[in-house]
Amino acid sequence: MGSMFRSEEVALVQLFLPTAAAYTCVSQLGELGLVEFRDLNASVSAFQRRFVVDVRRCEELEKTFTFLQEEVRRAGLVLPRPEGRLPAPPPRDLLRIQEETERLAQELRDVRGNQQSLRVQLHQLQLHAAVLGQGHGPQLATAHTYGASERTPLLQAPGGPHQDLRVNFVAGAVEPHKAPALERLLWRACRGFLIASFSELERPLEHPVTGEPATWMTFLISYWGEQIGQKIRKITDCFHCHVFPFLEQEEARRAALQQLQQQSQEMQEVLGETERFLSQVLGRVQQLLPPAQVQVRKMKAVYLALNQCSVSTTHKCLIAEAWCATRDLPALQEALRDSSAEEGVSAVAHRIPSRDMPPTLIRTNRFTASFQGIVDSYGVGRYQEVNPAPYTIITFPFLFAVMFGDVGHGLLMFLFALAMVLAENRPAVKAAQNEIWQTFFGGRYLLLLMGLFSVYTGFIYNECFSRASSIFPSGWSVAAMANQSGWSDAFLAQHTMLTLDPNVTGVFLGPYPFGIDPIWSLAANHLSFLNSFKMKMSVILGVVHMAFGVVLGVFNHMHFGQRHRLLLETLPELTFLLGLFGYLVFLVIYKWLHVSAASAASAPSILIHFINMFLFSHSPTNRPLYPQQEVVQAMLVVLALAMVPVLLLGTPLHLLCRHRRRRRRPTGRKEDKAGLLGLPDASVNGWGSDEEKAGGLEDEQEAELVPSEVFMHQAIHTIEFCLGCISNTASYLRLWALSLAHAQLSEVLWAMVMRIGLGLGREVGVAAVVLVPIFAAFAVMTVAILLVMEGLSAFLHALRLHWVEFQNKFYSGTGYKLSPFTFAATDD
Amino acid sequence: VRVRKPARLTASGARLLWRMLSALPSGGPENLQRPPLGPSSRLGIPRPAMTAHSFALPVIIFTTFWGLIGIAGPWFVPKGPNRGVIITMLVATAVCCYLFWLIAILAQLNPLFGPQLKNETIWYVRFLWE
Repeated sequence: MGSMFRSEEVALVQLFLPTAAAYTCVSQLGELGLVEFRDLNASVSAFQRRFVVDVRRCEELEKTFTFLQEEVRRAGLVLPRPEGRLPAPPPRDLLRIQEETERLAQELRDVRGNQQSLRVQLHQLQLHAAVLGQGHGPQLATAHTYGASERTPLLQAPGGPHQDLRVNFVAGAVEPHKAPALERLLWRACRGFLIASFSELERPLEHPVTGEPATWMTFLISYWGEQIGQKIRKITDCFHCHVFPFLEQEEARRAALQQLQQQSQEMQEVLGETERFLSQVLGRVQQLLPPAQVQVRKMKAVYLALNQCSVSTTHKCLIAEAWCATRDLPALQEALRDSSAEEGVSAVAHRIPSRDMPPTLIRTNRFTASFQGIVDSYGVGRYQEVNPAPYTIITFPFLFAVMFGDVGHGLLMFLFALAMVLAENRPAVKAAQNEIWQTFFGGRYLLLLMGLFSVYTGFIYNECFSRASSIFPSGWSVAAMANQSGWSDAFLAQHTMLTLDPNVTGVFLGPYPFGIDPIWSLAANHLSFLNSFKMKMSVILGVVHMAFGVVLGVFNHMHFGQRHRLLLETLPELTFLLGLFGYLVFLVIYKWLHVSAASAASAPSILIHFINMFLFSHSPTNRPLYPQQEVVQAMLVVLALAMVPVLLLGTPLHLLCRHRRRRRRPTGRKEDKAGLLGLPDASVNGWGSDEEKAGGLEDEQEAELVPSEVFMHQAIHTIEFCLGCISNTASYLRLWALSLAHAQLSEVLWAMVMRIGLGLGREVGVAAVVLVPIFAAFAVMTVAILLVMEGLSAFLHALRLHWVEFQNKFYSGTGYKLSPFTFAATDD
Repeated sequence: VRVRKPARLTASGARLLWRMLSALPSGGPENLQRPPLGPSSRLGIPRPAMTAHSFALPVIIFTTFWGLIGIAGPWFVPKGPNRGVIITMLVATAVCCYLFWLIAILAQLNPLFGPQLKNETIWYVRFLWE
């Protein structure tokens, strides 16, 4: 059968890698992704391992790569994806890559630095030109004309002669958000001794470092007195303003301006050249970087793997231990042979026995991967225990569909999933980064099956967007009831609610052949019928699912050679489960078949019978379903209770007996074993090949058998199973609860939205126009509430039913996955 | 235009419904000639009989159908690495779907009570379904 039913056989192999060929061998193994290396140097810290120097070199190189990548990103360019197969380069190539990268990085740094300083200079020139070019006309005019005019007395400062007051200028530029503060401070500090005029530049200038445009404010301060001048300079320094020399003569200023403009033009040319060179360098980086990154990553991974190997005493070769699937052993040996043949040495691998539990390997394809993922999310199976995934492929969508059953919603889900499946090979779809989309896309086959089963259960529940359809004629005849009960129109007008009686001949014509009769969707008491139906359905499905889980445990016991557990655990478990809850299912089906409407008034209540069964009591008003019912029930309860001590004490006692028997004749048995096998033991669960199963395993393991532990473990298992039977059966009632919730939500949405829309307006035109927004609202709410919310809810509950109620009957999930050493993860 | 409350159909609404129904080709020509809702109208006119649903026929059909899928199907799955998984899927599908259908039909085999209908529904169903 397929290998999905339990883990593949995984063996521990020991690899002998001669030092000369070790690197190439491990690199080849990384390309193939066959083995998982075990860390043989776990006690050694990372800094003391053999290849730590090489790893460090790789890491430094990666730092340089990051710098280059950042530069490329800053320039707005994109690194192309590396093409083709790039194996890890041999160690001598690392030097070459290192040199080239360093050179590129240095050039890039230089060019960037130049560009930066050029930009700063250009900015200064531009500011200077702007300050000079700015017209602070009135001030200059006043400076000349009002040098000794009536104004002076107003500006008289206390003390100090007026004659040696000469007007000086300070011109500069300040950042716009600091300008008001500067103005205020100048006024407060030097009031009366200066005139400051601020004006804004028309064009914004780019900031040299950040590149943001900023509109600078230029100012021209005319002042009197040397001390004021010093104060002003201190203030402008404080505000980080750029101050430029200001010549009083107009012509001098114009000459300076011209010179500045010339200079800035030259500067811009130089800047252009620099940027061209920069783009050249970046182009070379774009070429070199992607393959180099991949190669160095692989190299680092190889060195990290080599660090996990131990060095043999002769220092001639490295010894590695790795887990490898038995099926891949020939491929492994071939790979080692090929890669070491180039060096003229030979690397070998051979299988060694192991005491530890091997990792679990289950190969999946893209269809089964999502179901295996569901199971693995709960826990990866122990080595070679039964894998629930192949059964989950069908039971999970089925239980989801029981809770979600609606033809319309199921069809929408199916079509959505079908679209994803048909488009799965398109690169645009694969490269999408949105996490939520990735989640849905990863589960597309799951959604496909869920939708398909939902359509089926929708047909059985007879619900399509909460509407029932009569594919077959209904099994209830209203006319027959009306005629035979004399329901005249007057009678009907008086009574708003009337019930059809199945006892009247011709009213009930037989069960609807496929699903629920459509008359129930018109009935006011349809919940009474549906609740009874769905509750019983949930219990039946639950008992069947759980019994299936217990039966799967049989395969585990047989595979691990623990046949005593078949008799001492599986049989009592099945008897307990089926004796009590299987009997409940029997009662339900019996009542369905044998109690008809004729005796409806005195119909036996299963609930009361079931309660009385456990209490060993009797309700006189509740008639028995079949003769001798009480005797049968009493026997079943006694049998089930008798199974509890068997479950509790059976296995531990058996193990103890066997342990004592083995210990009583130790020497004979041990010699036999040594002769037969020559291999030491394995773990309790007995993984591995057939020879080990035969009996060698118990030998050393029994020596460590602790009775109290075994009894305790079994007691926990018994309590968990017995109490779990009751609570888990009740837990399956969530199938009823959620399907009811879904049906009701669906019904409410229809009644509140679509029915109102369809009932509005008698003229066709009005109805058509009004229906468009109403249908839009209906569609949005259907998708948002019923598909997404209810879908997630049903998904969650189906998942819980699988993880807890089904899997705790047979699955332990305490293993770990085989994660092979591969470069595939690093190749993005 | 009078705004109607759609939830409660008044007597005039019922008459409108009757007029609409009579326009539909339901049943035979007698329906069209029937005077509106009189008590004597029903007594002499032959009712078209409702087909009785058998229980055995659907059971046989569906048992064979799911039996073919679940028991005969596995023999036809081509050999390949996925044979085991496909067989498991076929059997599980057959079991689940058959069981679900069987529960639905068994639950309706011997109903202990009938549907409780509104009088308007009775009017409507009576003339439309039969």
